[in-house]
Amino acid sequence: MRLDNPAAADELRTRLINENKTFTRRLWVCGGPGCLAAGAAGVFAALADAVAGLGLAGSAGMSCELSGCLGLCEKGPLVQVEPEGWLYAKVTPADAPEIALETLSKGELIVRLLDDPKIPLKDDHPFYKPQRRLIMSRMGRTRPDSLEDYVAAGGYSALSKALSELGPGEVSRRVEASGLRGRGGGGFPAGRKWAACRSAPGPVKYVVANGDEGDPGAFMNRSLMEGDPFSVVEGMTLGAYAVGAAEGFIYVRHEYPLSVARLKKAVGTAEERGLLGENILGSGFSFKLRTVEGGGAFVCGESTALMASIEGREGQPRVKYVRSAERGLWDRPTLLQNVESWANVPAIVAEGPEWFKSIGAEGNPGTKVFSLVGQVRRSGLVETPLGTPVGTLVDGAGGGARPGRTIKAVQTGGPSGGCLPREKFDLPLDFDHLPAAGTIMGSGGLIVMDDLSCMVDVARYFTGFLSGESCGKCAPCREGLTLIGRILDDLCRGRGRRGDVLELASLGETLSRTALCGLGQSAANPLLSTIRYFAEEYREHEEEGFCRSGRCQGMFVPEIDADACRRCFRCAKVCPARAATVKSKREPPEIDLGACVSCGACLAECRFGALRAAPKKKTGETKARESSKPTPDDSSEAAAGRCSQAEARTGSQKEKKGPGSKRRRS
Amino acid sequence: MSAPIETMVSGTINGRTVAVAKDTPLLQAARDNGVGIPTLCHHPALPPDGNCRLCLVEVGGKLAASCLYPLREDGFSVVTESGKIAGARAFVVKLLLSRAPEDECLLRLAALYQTAPDPRLAGDEDGCLRCGRCVRACHAAGSDAVALVGRGRSRKVAGAFLEPPADCAGCLACARVCPTGAVKFRETKNSRSIWGKEFSLAPCPVCGRTVGTPEELARAGLDPGGALCPECRRRAMAGALLALPENAAPKRG
Ligand SMILES: Cc1cc2nc3c(=O)[nH]c(=O)nc-3n(C[C@H](O)[C@H](O)[C@H](O)COP(=O)(O)O)c2cc1C
Ligand code: SF4
Ligand code: FES
Repeated sequence: MRLDNPAAADELRTRLINENKTFTRRLWVCGGPGCLAAGAAGVFAALADAVAGLGLAGSAGMSCELSGCLGLCEKGPLVQVEPEGWLYAKVTPADAPEIALETLSKGELIVRLLDDPKIPLKDDHPFYKPQRRLIMSRMGRTRPDSLEDYVAAGGYSALSKALSELGPGEVSRRVEASGLRGRGGGGFPAGRKWAACRSAPGPVKYVVANGDEGDPGAFMNRSLMEGDPFSVVEGMTLGAYAVGAAEGFIYVRHEYPLSVARLKKAVGTAEERGLLGENILGSGFSFKLRTVEGGGAFVCGESTALMASIEGREGQPRVKYVRSAERGLWDRPTLLQNVESWANVPAIVAEGPEWFKSIGAEGNPGTKVFSLVGQVRRSGLVETPLGTPVGTLVDGAGGGARPGRTIKAVQTGGPSGGCLPREKFDLPLDFDHLPAAGTIMGSGGLIVMDDLSCMVDVARYFTGFLSGESCGKCAPCREGLTLIGRILDDLCRGRGRRGDVLELASLGETLSRTALCGLGQSAANPLLSTIRYFAEEYREHEEEGFCRSGRCQGMFVPEIDADACRRCFRCAKVCPARAATVKSKREPPEIDLGACVSCGACLAECRFGALRAAPKKKTGETKARESSKPTPDDSSEAAAGRCSQAEARTGSQKEKKGPGSKRRRS
Repeated sequence: MSAPIETMVSGTINGRTVAVAKDTPLLQAARDNGVGIPTLCHHPALPPDGNCRLCLVEVGGKLAASCLYPLREDGFSVVTESGKIAGARAFVVKLLLSRAPEDECLLRLAALYQTAPDPRLAGDEDGCLRCGRCVRACHAAGSDAVALVGRGRSRKVAGAFLEPPADCAGCLACARVCPTGAVKFRETKNSRSIWGKEFSLAPCPVCGRTVGTPEELARAGLDPGGALCPECRRRAMAGALLALPENAAPKRG
């Protein structure tokens, strides 16, 4: 049924809300990327069977549905129980009959399925406590592909209000006054782009959503596109209405097939219902929206490369001294925003800019979704008001370090972000404080690293990633990142030379100033921030060939602290060289340093922090090896350096893993 | 033939006030005013690309590629030599030297900006700076036979699928604009080879001088077998004009 006037959308909402009141209890199985990977589809199928088996399906006001991402991915598959607000964690298909019988039909809590038996309510769980969900507000309350659910949860009230009351100028003014800043990286004031695009002359304009999300370890945009696609579609429709565009594109990375499918379906459904396409809600305003699949290059997330890619040209950045709002896609005025920026728009238009500004920090209104990954107890998607301190996410929501470990740093902002040390964990996460501390907000990646992460190696890893993703157009990024990567490779193999770190700092700073696009300009952030905050680790690598984190092979020896050792002997079991041997059950294992290959497997395995990396004792043999400097024409070593970069690149591109998950393959 | 006054913008270059037509590239404005800026990827006959980053100058304190920075507003303030700029150019020259360590032009720049190639980038000296002038020239000539393929440091100039390019007409437009001479070709009296392809050379039917490859003549809409060389063509056209009746000459005014 087509909605042919703004009031029809509101009437539909009222009707749906009344219908939903007939539900006495609903189970929401999380269908986010993390839970699906953990087997949520099987849980959902088993629950659906169990519900049907009890004769509860479709009647008795009960149901079981797949929802968008609930966020606590580490503990998936998750099941949320409404209206009670309970959250079950690590649910298996075998739990389904019990859940259907006890919880769904009788309303009983199953304590053993809680993450913490003392905390039945999701909102009381420490992971959710610091959160405020705007972007993810509908995830866990709606079926992602259901327009009805979106409308019932308040969706399309902004569009009907815009078309019936506000008009394009007021829609634009609300976004300008809201102070919304771009969620795709730079935090550029959205309103300035809206105003510029609105006042740009010309009959043809475009709106574009950036859903390329190429950062390894990041999946907040993916969860949004999969979990609440209509919010992006409605936001873009409002944008098109405000600036006078008749056509729009959603650029989604090819590796996100479910995002593509969900967005396509949402676009199709919105068109059928008169919320998109010709004569939207009978207002005379028409807007055609299409999804475009990206080719998979990281640099295609950069706005000019992205537009080149939509135009069918090679996805490569262009020097732009004229803004896209004036001259963008096919040289027409173009309003390009990240998908999360777009998803903020409906609420801003409906609730008004003052409401939006009441959330978040000074100059940084609203919330941001962060993907919290790495060496924390609870990883997942966390949405907090901007300005929330780093530590609140890492230690609060994330639950701090894993057993036996201490947290050393957090990298913010994806591969070209910087690393913040523990001492900086009171820093507010927003678009102003992070750059001042040498890092960026990026799209909201937070990679937590513990004492087993070597900061020189972290810089090496990300430099390798970015070097592999460099488009190769401009000389500083193409050749300069290669050079930086090779010096870092040397440092991480105990082949550092005096002056390397100073030179790295100078190369990094010059690269940032000279590169053509944002990739090269930000590519030195991991390097420069780790030099800034972890200078001592660099010095040890350069001068002593020592890696205190036990990460750089051959640059440390394991040492056991007999007092901390609890004699679990896990280290002896994982040692690939059988260098750790158990002589007596009452003594710590003995490590034969002659046999030890210094791989660090034992350090990672110890739950009690009893193993640590110590400098190598200099024997005559190792001294001789260490002092032999590589020569420029040592092509096999140079080739090895390139290989390790290539390996880091393919690993991260295909599987989207952070450095944390890549470690300890042995 | 100066531009109308309202489309002029003015500002300073190295402290001297200049006025130029709006949207003039900074590089051109500087050169027109006698200020030299080194360039590599820029070629006056080709669209600018801004990839080598040698022409960086400071605009309002920030580095910008002068070859395609448009002067759009009054009050610009440009500095073309400073410590920051020298550092940036030294960096670019150091990096590009790793590709063409013997190139005279680069060596002169290296002496000027006091830099040298880094041994850790050794091993890839193919002479090509990836400036893409050849690619832009080929496009301008109408062929698009070669392109920059691959990404990152493996980026290089090649034909499609790394094969001898089917669309290459053997016109040498690429070789003529290459700043380092990295585009190699061989030529004898009746043949030419470039990009792994062999071409015959068509002689001018009047004077016998080489006019080009048949493919190149066909691309220009000329007779591949018997096109006149530019000089003979001019002579022939002048002759045709003289033979025209008086009243067929185009009227002026
Ligand atoms: C190398 C590079 C990669 C980028 N990747 C993304 C991306 O994946 N998603 C995104 O929204 N923005 C990305 N950006 C930022 C975009 O260029 C652009 O600023 C942004 O999409 C604008 O939208 P916003 O103002 O709403 O953030 C990237 C930028 C660079 C330089
Ligand atoms: S900075 Fe890197 S990615 Fe950007 S244009 Fe230059 S080579 Fe390409
Ligand atoms: S000459 Fe301007 S960037 Fe190369």
